[in-house]
Amino acid sequence: MIRTEEMLLNVGPQHPSTHGVFRVVVKLDGEQIIHADPVMGYLHRGTEKLAENLNYTQIIPYTDRMDYVSAMTNNYVLVHAVETLLELEIPERAEYLRLIVMELQRVASHLVWWGTYLLDIGAMSPFLYAFREREMIIDLFNELCGARLTYFYMRVGGVKWDAPEGWIDKVKAFVAHMKEKLGEYHNLVSGNEIFLARIKGVGRYDAQTAIDYGLSGANLRCTGVDWDLRKSQPYSLYDRFDFDVITRTEGDCLARYEIRLEEIRQSLRILDQALEQFPEEGEIMGKVPRVIRPPKGEAYVAIESPRGEIGCHLVSEGKAEPYRLKFRRPSFVNLQILPKLLVGESMTNLITILGGIDIVVGEVDA
Amino acid sequence: MEPATQGVTFGSVVIEAILGVLTLLIVLGFVTYAIYFERKVIGWMQGRPGPNRVGPFGLLQTVADVLKLLIKEDTIPKKADRPLFILAPALTFVPAFTVLATIPYTSKWIPADLNVGLLYYVALSSISTMGILLGGWASNNKYALLGGMRSTAQMISYEVPLVISVVGVVLMSGSLNLSTIVEGQAGYFWNWNFLPQILGFGIFVIAAVSELNRTPFDLPEAESELVAGYHVEYSGFRFAFFMLSEYVYMYAIAGLTTVLFLGGWHAPFPFLDFIPGIIWFVLKFCLVIFTLYWLRATMPRIRIDQLMSLGWKVLLPLSLVNVFITAVVMEFMK
Amino acid sequence: MKGIAKGLGVTLKTMTQKKVTYKYPDVPLEMPNRFRGVQHFEPDKCIVCNQCVRICPTECITLTGKPNPDPEKKGKVIDTYDINFEICILCDLCTEVCPTEAIVMTNNFELATYSRDDLFKNMEWLDDNNTNVRLENSTNPQAKKGAK
Repeated sequence: MIRTEEMLLNVGPQHPSTHGVFRVVVKLDGEQIIHADPVMGYLHRGTEKLAENLNYTQIIPYTDRMDYVSAMTNNYVLVHAVETLLELEIPERAEYLRLIVMELQRVASHLVWWGTYLLDIGAMSPFLYAFREREMIIDLFNELCGARLTYFYMRVGGVKWDAPEGWIDKVKAFVAHMKEKLGEYHNLVSGNEIFLARIKGVGRYDAQTAIDYGLSGANLRCTGVDWDLRKSQPYSLYDRFDFDVITRTEGDCLARYEIRLEEIRQSLRILDQALEQFPEEGEIMGKVPRVIRPPKGEAYVAIESPRGEIGCHLVSEGKAEPYRLKFRRPSFVNLQILPKLLVGESMTNLITILGGIDIVVGEVDA
Repeated sequence: MEPATQGVTFGSVVIEAILGVLTLLIVLGFVTYAIYFERKVIGWMQGRPGPNRVGPFGLLQTVADVLKLLIKEDTIPKKADRPLFILAPALTFVPAFTVLATIPYTSKWIPADLNVGLLYYVALSSISTMGILLGGWASNNKYALLGGMRSTAQMISYEVPLVISVVGVVLMSGSLNLSTIVEGQAGYFWNWNFLPQILGFGIFVIAAVSELNRTPFDLPEAESELVAGYHVEYSGFRFAFFMLSEYVYMYAIAGLTTVLFLGGWHAPFPFLDFIPGIIWFVLKFCLVIFTLYWLRATMPRIRIDQLMSLGWKVLLPLSLVNVFITAVVMEFMK
Repeated sequence: MKGIAKGLGVTLKTMTQKKVTYKYPDVPLEMPNRFRGVQHFEPDKCIVCNQCVRICPTECITLTGKPNPDPEKKGKVIDTYDINFEICILCDLCTEVCPTEAIVMTNNFELATYSRDDLFKNMEWLDDNNTNVRLENSTNPQAKKGAK
């Protein structure tokens, strides 16, 4: 008499493919998942609570550590919220610098995603290729703001450092180099039959489900919804540039893969234009009071981070510290669809789907 | 070397034993540097230098790794099935080593010239599957269990096309004896079996990579899903045994590919015959090994259900077709 | 099969190209001038204004002052100055607010130790950490005035 039973398997918190300390408790029937329970919070540091006792400049380095793969956009969303409340005017040169670093950051973040995703799927080389190019971006950032990961580059009212001499040319050289390498990536991976068979049709959902779950970024655009905050609600200087919002209609992991790689190309397009328009001279800091005390009120700003809509809801009581600071973290919101997608899939697809959502655990747990 | 009919004396036993130990040493040396070159080649393909810290050019890296494994604490999980847990690595390693006996390196140097060499090879190599299954089961770990199950399913499914794909070669040479098969491939390189048996060769290579549990078929130890698969609970020298048998199998499969399809010790052109056969053998052997590394540096991993359908729905029918075509063509060519 | 062949071509091509890794422990890494490394502290410049302690987001700086030993001079001089590098995030804010550039960043970044206690750096250690000091330290206009 053969007796079968369901198996409860703990994937994580220490597991090579959960991208940090994230845990999924899955109930398995053979290799098929019948129930999945994500458990998060292993990296919770209480950023939002900590922020209530810090002044606005001090909060910025904490945002570096939320989505540590994309610190520049996190910097921006906070300073943008404070600036909105203060109704500050940002000098043009500072705004261009911010935009250039944010787009570079998007490229770097998608490169990390691409590399680790392929590593999840079992190919090792793309990871090192992606980090080879990301290293160049990090070197550029290092030269600009003196750090390689936690940049702390933006300040309320502008940016901390002006571009050093020759930096803009280096970025131009990088953009040209990256365009060439992108073709190499496609040659290495995008046509590979094994890879396509692995991710095609996996983790599929439709546009309504995506909107119901509040997904954003590539996770939303893969279902055909044309929603990119850079175009839909232009912030910074994005209305000055010509670029496309990439959408697919399949809604599966392959669509997300294609969108992210194509977004690298669009970011390079924006960078090309931004570097051309970059003002020769100008201030990098607006007229900011010595102690930043935004007037009493609330502000919600949202920008397009590489992972989706990152929002910052700021409630000020007119003090130097915020009364309440709430971040809408795209990784956290996008992750909510995971249990639904996992039911009925195999163990292998768990990794494919989780990787395809593109989470950063620092941001999930904040 | 000697026909098996000759009487067994004390002297012959000693000589055989010495030869056996010698082969073991050669194989261990091969494994040491196969791992070293694997890491080097993959490193180069990824734009990095590979191991370069221990010894000149990192040549002693594997030696250091093995030493570390040997002096490591040998842990056995409390809830593991102790006897099976201990038995599994040995059960995996012993057949891996014994199959090497039939590989002919040159026309003179054949450790054991069995007339059912090929059959001996495939029969023994399937015993290793049991070791892997036992290791996965006895560890009492869910990841190990999944890895062990996958591995068994995979190795059993791919052994079938592997064996059937070489039937074409056997038909062409009319023998299961590996040295006779090599003899049949003398002359120019287009006489080597990989061209007349191109379909069989393709199936053999795919099935062989799968038998070796190497990328893109490395599901049993799929690092990103099953952490380490069936040997997740193994450490120290038991783990080393699993690794060792994996690389010994690589040696065996590379040798077998060379012998069955790449003409063994024959030169690609007869006028190159002045170069000793062993050099040709080693060259072809290295080419096969390099291809395995190259695949590993490029490929993502296939999914288990796709693996199974590839094995049963594609490779098996194709290999049967190959046997059929070979038989028909040989009948008409007669 | 075509996609796989293309991929194999890419890896083979990369094999012949130049390696991109750094020979880091053998060859020291050159960090750009703006790099935020471990701080250098000059006790003589410090006016014990406590600004760095107040701005530090992780509260890793502790300092105490004492009255100036020279009775003719007013103000305080620094007595102890400690930075806890277990929690310091090298955010640059202490150097940004320092009116006299007493605390500045260096390009040194190697902090690994075998004991956490060693990460608690005192004034002497920070004073001795005087190599590779960053050239442009403060963008704070007030600090520039104070430095004159």
